[in-house]
Amino acid sequence: MKRKSLIAICLAVGMAGLLCSPAAWARSIKVGIVDCYSGPPSTYTNDVRDAFKLVVDQVNAAGGVLGRKIEFFARDSKFKVDLGLAEAKELIMRKDVDIMMGTINSALALAISNLCKKEKVPFFVTFAKSAKITGAKGHRYVFSMNENTAMAGKAGAEGLAKRPYVKYWIAGDDYEYGHAIAGGVWSNLKTIKPGVKLLGQSWWKVGEPDFTPYITAILSAKPDAVIVATGGRDCVPFLKAAQATGFNRRVPFYMHTATELATLKPLGLQAPEGVIGTSNYYYYYPQTAANKAFVKSFKAAYGRNPAVGALYGYVAAKFMIRGFNKAGKIDTEKFIDALEGMRIDSPVGPLTLRAFDHQVMYPMFMGVTHKVPGMKYLMAADIVTLPGKDVMPAVAEIKKARAR
Amino acid sequence: MGFAGHVTLAAFCQQVLVGLSRTTILFIVASGLSLVLGVLRIPNIAHGSLYMIGAFLTYSLVRLGGGGSAGFWMALLAAPLGVALLSFVVERGLLCRLYEREHLMLLLFTFALMLVFGDLVKMIWGADYRSFAEPPFLQGSVLIFGLPFPRYNLFLLAVGPLVAIGLYLLTNRTKIGKIARAAAVDREMVGAMGINVSWVFASVFVIGCFLAGLGGALVAPTQNITQGMDHAIIIEAFLIVIIGGLGNIWGALLGALIFGLTDAVGILIWPQFAIVFPYMAVVVVLVFCPKGLLKSIW
Amino acid sequence: MRFKSAGFAFAALAVLFLLPAVLPRYYLYLLSLVLVTGLLATSLNLVLGFGGIYQFHHAVFYGAGAYVFALMLMKTGLPAWLAYVSAPAAAALLSLLMGLICIRLSKLYFGMLQISLGSLVWVVVYRWYGFTGGDDGLQGIPVPGALSSTSGAYIFVLAVCLLCLALMYRIVNSPFGRIFQSIRDNPERSAAIGVDVRQHQLIGLVLAGAFAGVAGALFVTVEGSAFPEMLFWTLSLEILVMCLLGGWLTFWGPMLGAAIIVVLRTWVGIYTDYWTLILGVILMLLIYFLPDGVLGRARKKKTIENPVAGAGKV
Repeated sequence: MKRKSLIAICLAVGMAGLLCSPAAWARSIKVGIVDCYSGPPSTYTNDVRDAFKLVVDQVNAAGGVLGRKIEFFARDSKFKVDLGLAEAKELIMRKDVDIMMGTINSALALAISNLCKKEKVPFFVTFAKSAKITGAKGHRYVFSMNENTAMAGKAGAEGLAKRPYVKYWIAGDDYEYGHAIAGGVWSNLKTIKPGVKLLGQSWWKVGEPDFTPYITAILSAKPDAVIVATGGRDCVPFLKAAQATGFNRRVPFYMHTATELATLKPLGLQAPEGVIGTSNYYYYYPQTAANKAFVKSFKAAYGRNPAVGALYGYVAAKFMIRGFNKAGKIDTEKFIDALEGMRIDSPVGPLTLRAFDHQVMYPMFMGVTHKVPGMKYLMAADIVTLPGKDVMPAVAEIKKARAR
Repeated sequence: MGFAGHVTLAAFCQQVLVGLSRTTILFIVASGLSLVLGVLRIPNIAHGSLYMIGAFLTYSLVRLGGGGSAGFWMALLAAPLGVALLSFVVERGLLCRLYEREHLMLLLFTFALMLVFGDLVKMIWGADYRSFAEPPFLQGSVLIFGLPFPRYNLFLLAVGPLVAIGLYLLTNRTKIGKIARAAAVDREMVGAMGINVSWVFASVFVIGCFLAGLGGALVAPTQNITQGMDHAIIIEAFLIVIIGGLGNIWGALLGALIFGLTDAVGILIWPQFAIVFPYMAVVVVLVFCPKGLLKSIW
Repeated sequence: MRFKSAGFAFAALAVLFLLPAVLPRYYLYLLSLVLVTGLLATSLNLVLGFGGIYQFHHAVFYGAGAYVFALMLMKTGLPAWLAYVSAPAAAALLSLLMGLICIRLSKLYFGMLQISLGSLVWVVVYRWYGFTGGDDGLQGIPVPGALSSTSGAYIFVLAVCLLCLALMYRIVNSPFGRIFQSIRDNPERSAAIGVDVRQHQLIGLVLAGAFAGVAGALFVTVEGSAFPEMLFWTLSLEILVMCLLGGWLTFWGPMLGAAIIVVLRTWVGIYTDYWTLILGVILMLLIYFLPDGVLGRARKKKTIENPVAGAGKV
């Protein structure tokens, strides 16, 4: 008698559990995020995830997309390509995610892009800046939610060409991104100003603990200016070393993302002044209504001003949501078709996703770091805006690169 | 693209100084490792973790102290002591029971310690990198040979020989030092003479780990303090100890010099492959002197 | 009795080969990784457990095989089977070169010297960004079509692993294998009865390196990528831990150890960030309480001999 009632109770509990299980509701839209949340890059990547979550929470509260909620799973790749790739495989094969998103490491982004092409899962790249992602290695299933080295290179070259420097030195991180950004800046610079000369190059390993020997080697070569190609991990440490050795006072240098909040905030008042940098987001510029509103809601949710990563997370979420809404159903191919050429509003103005290479056409802002009275960190001054269409790489060039 | 043709004498001399300041850190860490290896016959893979803990501790203590010069000196003393205390606890609690086991087991045990310490550091200090500025009186740079040389590196150049002298006095002039050297050669004999070998081992282990912590404390203001510091330093320390001669502290000094200088000069001459220079030097030394340059204790 | 165990083995093999029909893709992928890692661990044990050699940097041969395989597929137009043969050949050659330098020393010295030389190989691969992809490794390697799917890769890996395991089993139980183990137990006595200790050890090292190279090529087949981490000393020590965990004086021990570690690592990695801590604690417990490993403990009940000298039987 006791056994029968036990079985009955178990069945009842099981039924109740089944009814309450998520399977009873419509299957949610699953997004898998692989990114580096350990170490220096986390100052950049936390913003991506936080802004993404902000938009997703708002949308879920308003009923979701096509009646389904969006849920996302974030995995820490620790800036290692093998770990990140294994996590991406787990998300795709085990968790059955509909969309993949990530990462700040360009090499990992390319590896995941390759995987997503094979698995036919859309991959929204956030932060990885290698131009190969939507360029030479671009394909139907990859989308870039941030600027790439070709765009930054063009913007940087435009700014540098206006200055009187002729003899250059290139230094940076010895990995995909470092070579890509240096190459992007240099090839564009040579096109605009053919008289520039390259004196030499220095490449250190990612995560190099001590830049002093490299800095002294560069200074002894006496270039007019230096193009510094550091990635997420080394931007802040390099600027710190520059300040300590007085590098920025002895020779001007350009570093993409040097003027960004995520780079300057951790350094506080110890950041070097006079560094030329490009970025595609400042929370204080331009002072449009859209930007102010975005800053306000981000600050209300997380207690800090948004840095450029927040823009990428916001834009990614917006494109995903509008893409599904326009497609009308949860269908990968229709989703991709809907996205091509789509326009959204953003804190930096209207943004278009170019149909050919799935690249968001961001405007670039170039500035110089300087101290602002009353602020605990440096900010960008003398900001020059370059519109998105002016910095995008030519479609013909990409076609050529893909054919190789 | 690779080789730099602009290397002037001034740049070269400057770079040598940079290399020497790196030698200081390498020597301090490697000598601690060599000490433990020589006397206890333990290849302590966790030595790098203790170096990392020393750096993180220094960071926290400097932050507590407010960032001034007094805070820095205090941290420089307290952090290695903290590491020494930790190593004492580990040695007495876990390690000393394994002394009779094979070398391989001891090595694997220290590997386990490295794994555990690595994650403990992540738990306590988080996964973010840590960074702090040098104390005010050591900030900025001086001009040497017309090129900027960070003041802090000058400080390191001074500290190196001081530690070397201190170690020499410790091993040759103090009682504990002489007993330790005897125990390295013949532990049974030392035990037979009525000396508690176990406490000798504990002391040597603690001193060796103190040195690791000191190395970490000294290097902390100059670079990012991150996870992964342990992996990077331990392989360099082991290579230095091997080419110097297992257990030989002066060998550690020689090895550190070779390593630091080849690295710095390599950066000047062939920046892309600079890191290969010290490793090549190691291979060359080992092909000709497989047991190290100087006599090893065993 | 023999018939029974043969029948059981046959059934197990059939099940393994038929798994792609029932198992979800992710678990097939995981199983492939287990097989590759198990092969690698068993190859290490050839010289570690059966030879008593302190092989501290076995991962170098694994990584060398992987990179040679990957680079041959990516940079040359040569057929895939040639790449599959070149990987173990290159690894064996590297093992021979390193062995010739290290073999003059014994025990701890051997191990540390091997780590030094291995680190040099790692540094070159790690920094030669233009050729080996440097820190990023090699991605998108063109694995032959039939083997690039999850189940295709699994079947291939299973077949090759079984073949290699069978070969290694034969080697361990051959006259060569017995001499090899006697060198481990008592090198002086072996030399006294006329055995060329150095030569035998070198042969053992070359064989171990070759099988590690096969494992490397298999890894690339499964993942489609190669990473410099495959050459790093921490991986070498992890493989050592696998041998220890399973029981390094048994033949199947390393395989078991590899299976446990790979499965645990994947499982734990999903729920927590602190897998390294758990691995460290497991290792500590192992050293304290289970120094013969899981299988070794089971075997010990059968033999009362000194664990270092005995357990030569598999």
